[in-house]
Amino acid sequence: MSTLLLSLKIEFSGGLELLFSNQRSHRVQIPSIVPIDNSTSPSAAVPASDISMDLPTSPQSTDTGKTKAADITYLMYYLRDHLLKERVELFMEGGTVRPGILVLINDTDWELEGEGEYILKDRDEVVFISTLHGG
Amino acid sequence: MSSCGNPAVEAEALMSRRLKFDKSRSCVKCKTNVGNIVIRHAVYCKDCFTPLQTTKFKRSLEPSINPASASTSGPRRTKLKATGNLLIGFSGGLGSTVLLDLVSRCYISSNETVENVDGNSKPRGGTKHPRNQSVWMEARACYVEMCGAFPESGMRDRTDEVRKAVERYNGFEFVSLRIEDAFDSRWWASVGGRDQIRERDLGVDLSDEELLLSSLQHSSDSSPLAALQKYLSSLPTTTATQSSLTALTRLLLLYTALATSSSHLLLGTTLTGLSIGLISGVAMGGGFVVREEAGEEWEPRISGLAGEERRIKVVRPLQDMGMKECAAWVWWNGLEVVGKENVVGVKQGIGGLTKDFIVGLERDYPSTVSTIARTCAKLAPKDAAVERCVMCERPAQRGVQDWKARISIRSFNSPESEMSIPLPPHIQSAIPPPSHPHHSSFSPSLTPLLCYGCHTTLTSRSSRGTALQSKNLSKSLTDVIAPLPVWVSSRLLDSVVNPGGEMRDDLGGDAWQSKKMDVKEMRDAVKDFLLED
Repeated sequence: MSTLLLSLKIEFSGGLELLFSNQRSHRVQIPSIVPIDNSTSPSAAVPASDISMDLPTSPQSTDTGKTKAADITYLMYYLRDHLLKERVELFMEGGTVRPGILVLINDTDWELEGEGEYILKDRDEVVFISTLHGG
Repeated sequence: MSSCGNPAVEAEALMSRRLKFDKSRSCVKCKTNVGNIVIRHAVYCKDCFTPLQTTKFKRSLEPSINPASASTSGPRRTKLKATGNLLIGFSGGLGSTVLLDLVSRCYISSNETVENVDGNSKPRGGTKHPRNQSVWMEARACYVEMCGAFPESGMRDRTDEVRKAVERYNGFEFVSLRIEDAFDSRWWASVGGRDQIRERDLGVDLSDEELLLSSLQHSSDSSPLAALQKYLSSLPTTTATQSSLTALTRLLLLYTALATSSSHLLLGTTLTGLSIGLISGVAMGGGFVVREEAGEEWEPRISGLAGEERRIKVVRPLQDMGMKECAAWVWWNGLEVVGKENVVGVKQGIGGLTKDFIVGLERDYPSTVSTIARTCAKLAPKDAAVERCVMCERPAQRGVQDWKARISIRSFNSPESEMSIPLPPHIQSAIPPPSHPHHSSFSPSLTPLLCYGCHTTLTSRSSRGTALQSKNLSKSLTDVIAPLPVWVSSRLLDSVVNPGGEMRDDLGGDAWQSKKMDVKEMRDAVKDFLLED
């Protein structure tokens, strides 16, 4: 059996924290199985039948194609919809983070982890660092 | 008729996403640790990242530390010694935060000692380590506060935050400037300039391409801040405002370096920032000085405070580090970035658009950004510079105005827009000029003393029209006389106003004057070369 909710530590740096209540560190809990369209609204809640089953180890193993294992892309949508306070265009662009934002997953460049397709695990630490805050 | 492709596959065919790194996830340097960061397709672990960046930083900076004569003889490493002090341009942004940290780690003695086996202590790294040898006698970090340039944006003064950021490091003196100091005669006197009372008297008419000089009308509010704001509000475009602020900041730093007897001015321009600066600089007409954008040796027109002549090397030691590496450095070393506030309108300028383009390019094609910098490093102007622009004090070509008049595409405008977009000089000369309260019958012009880039900045108007232009339309002619930065006024008063000044020599000793000729005069001038019908 696996956990139903993933507990994650999120940090913002390089000025990005200004968009998130000027708070650098956040702890969030997200479901381990999420809608495949990354919808985070309550109406798009994941069916109980999906989240009560054993967690799949990869998105390909989700049953109906309507859900997937929670990944970084879903996390970005979650942060945008629930924590972001202003100016979404400074955080996301074209379904991913805006160019100029460095993402570290457990202290490792997300480019080494598959970028948005990285499947989140419980107690992962994800850092978003803006490189565009002056020179 | 069927397609040649495979119908079963083609509909769903997607190009497979290319990995951002070349081989494996292992560090390409130590080949043992799992990598933590991808830098232009190469994977590095955290342990190898720090020495790699330090090496890049030193490799960019150290060849320029010693004077040219000393660097060619003997082993350089043991004789690392600058001829003057050090000034760091510190904006509080990402690049300058990394720069300050690296300079402090590598060259500023932190009085750290290590214990010997016999109990005695010695400086960390040994007495001959550059950190313990004082490469520069004194080190300063200079911050230029920009909030005065944007009174309507509510930008807050960050001087105290930046001061605290600098004070975290030992061995740096904090120097605080304000952008309006560029119009402050007291600041000019403090860096060795002269004529602190006269210099505010000259202004320029930015509504006319000739940029005629005239005396400034003194108002009750003649503070440096008011002068700066009047100058900026007279500029024709958002791009010109940003470009001018960059130029003012650069000159403020250079003259401060001169006043503090500094031999080196270090700037925290990253590889990404340099590429943005190069592309936008060329787009704004600065192609002639594209080499200076990457690094220059500036010779002041005024001597140092002690009277000695000196040259200041402007070095960008982070020019091999991208913004990504800088961000990782800041995060992994727990540094604080003060940052800058976003200013409304910046994104619409050439600089902002170029930044968006280059940052996007860096994400998708990381190696291309370094290619921009490497390619620009190979460029050299066709002709040697014969003079220096009075505004930016960078090399300028001769005869740029003649060339500009020949190649520029210009058009007539409706009468109502004539005020905002001046007519070309040859048409203007055919029209009787309006009587101007400040222009004398023979007003000196700033135009021949400017480089192509500065003249374009001051005069090129957007074809779409801007809020600034419509604002300028409502102004009276007396209001369009903009004050000039103190170094420009000082230079003009020294030369143009005094006919025997050295500016005439800079211009090649020739005095040129344009004069309108009628058809008969022109025909007489070329009559010997005309073929008969």
